[in-house]
Amino acid sequence: MPIIHATNIHRKFGEGNLTTHVLKGIDFSVEEGEFVAIMGKSGAGKSTLMYQLSVLDEPTEGDITVHQTDIIRLNEQERTSFRLNTLGYVFQNYALVPDLSAEENVMLPLLMRGFDWQGAKQSARQAIDGVGMAGKYTNLPAELSGGEQQRISIARAVAGKPKILFADEPTANLDTVSGTQVIDLITKVNKEEHQTVVMVTHEREYAMGCNHIFHMEDGVIVDIEQLT
Amino acid sequence: MRSLRIGFLLGFRQIQRANIWTTALIIFVMMLTFLNLIAVSGILVGLIAGSERAVQEKSIGDIIITPLDSEEEILQTETIRRTFETIPEIQSYSIRYQQGVQLAANYKTRRDLNAEPNTIGTQAVGIDPVAENAVTGLSENIVEGEYLNPNESGYILIGALNLDRYTAGFADITGSLENVFPGDSVRATINGASREFVVKGIVDAKAGGVASFVYLPEKELRRLSNSPGRNADEIVIRLIDKTPETAIAVKSVLLAQEIDSYAKVRTFQEALPKFISDIKQTFNILGTFIGAVGIIVASITIFIIIFINALSRRQQIGILKGIGIDRKAIEIAYVLQSAFYALTGSLLGALVTYGILVGYFDRNPIDFPFSDGILVAEPLGTFYRFIILFIITLFAGFVPAWIIVKQNTLNSILGRK
Repeated sequence: MPIIHATNIHRKFGEGNLTTHVLKGIDFSVEEGEFVAIMGKSGAGKSTLMYQLSVLDEPTEGDITVHQTDIIRLNEQERTSFRLNTLGYVFQNYALVPDLSAEENVMLPLLMRGFDWQGAKQSARQAIDGVGMAGKYTNLPAELSGGEQQRISIARAVAGKPKILFADEPTANLDTVSGTQVIDLITKVNKEEHQTVVMVTHEREYAMGCNHIFHMEDGVIVDIEQLT
Repeated sequence: MRSLRIGFLLGFRQIQRANIWTTALIIFVMMLTFLNLIAVSGILVGLIAGSERAVQEKSIGDIIITPLDSEEEILQTETIRRTFETIPEIQSYSIRYQQGVQLAANYKTRRDLNAEPNTIGTQAVGIDPVAENAVTGLSENIVEGEYLNPNESGYILIGALNLDRYTAGFADITGSLENVFPGDSVRATINGASREFVVKGIVDAKAGGVASFVYLPEKELRRLSNSPGRNADEIVIRLIDKTPETAIAVKSVLLAQEIDSYAKVRTFQEALPKFISDIKQTFNILGTFIGAVGIIVASITIFIIIFINALSRRQQIGILKGIGIDRKAIEIAYVLQSAFYALTGSLLGALVTYGILVGYFDRNPIDFPFSDGILVAEPLGTFYRFIILFIITLFAGFVPAWIIVKQNTLNSILGRK
């Protein structure tokens, strides 16, 4: 059974004559443990699709089941809880809390999940070590480079061992070397932890390690490219 | 509990990493708000409290004994006086005799009989200078000349309100003596009997009546009024401990000895006219109202600060919600910041109030025309005001955070409206 199964997803913005139809009846399915990429030109709707699948937005129409949960039926609080316990996120702009140290950023979702302070700290440090940032535990985000911040962001996303990791253009703000390191880390998470990964990217070379690439154009999936 | 823990972590770190000058400015504003809340009403109430204190210290003492309503003088004055000797809480007492008197100042130099006589009708108070000074410190109120010497006779003290140079604004209404200075002679007339006195000093005080009387030794008053066996008109008592509780206790002892058969015994609090306590209450309400305006201003300030703070972190708030952080945790973080500002500002305000202002105004009362104003800041009242300020500040911190946090998560993350 797919870990993500979406059928006939529509997403419209605005009303009346100003309505913009961004997603036009998308069917989307990902099996557990897969690493998939969504690609397309700007305005194709790839990020909008990811927001629907990652429970950050609600489709205008359609059904989405994620990890056997009908997410359309969840209320706001249940959606927050679902995101916390099931999903991990890596954002384009790193999205670290600037006032918290690297390890506190990673600890945050763990504490919210009920870890005690020491347990959260230990897990956070393991995750930070795992992304090659050992020794940077107490650094503030402003004291880290873009690539380092994104690695901490990955550590935060995977520390709680979520079922699915969503990455929204995680290399967009990085140089080639840092971008490659980040993709390698995400690939490692998928291979070693068997976590399902859904990644939106512009750059094909970063998607080459995926199982499939969903190609989008003008709000519809026009091709599913099988890579492995 | 998890939300609380995360809220505290986020809030604490935001305070810790905030610009120190911004934080200091906010705390300073909160401190001023607290001072406004405490000091404005405290000084308004202190106006009356200062007046009360002056009356207690300079006029009526801690306990005052006056004639029964049916009598013109205190019965059995000597019996009452002997009773005082058996009460160790009594530090000193002054027995006063009062008589209406007419004072004339220019009787020697007045050549034109059609000219206005330089006279005034006033109240003469016969005192034992030493005893009176022990109770009310009358000698400290001498603004010109000297205090009465118990070994001398033929001297008088004149209250400043009987002299034209001290009553510039209302001398025409009350009447006053012109050009009378220490060393001048005045003629006192009581019940048709006259005697010449030398003015020894001028008395002035912002305490009910003190500056409107003339003072002379009680033996001379009784001799002049030809009433050697006369009972006293007023006895004022100074206690070792000036608290109202002790005054009530000593009054009970006096009543147990049936002093109330001879005179009316009242504590200082009981002897105060009701209008004084009414004014005090009115000023308190007025002060609270002014303080409430201060609270509203402070709450708006906090609201704006937290709103701008939360608004500038809108994307971060969206991301926190996105990764599964509970709304309550984020709101708690901002409420904690408000609490920090309110608590720190109030603590500093309390420190300034009790560490500096109360003591300072106690030593240097504000020179108001009718009283020496002090700063009254009852700890319990201050605590209540702090609680009100604290709760309102928390609310002012919560509302903007709630407004920002309730916005759509994705819109916040993407910075969309």
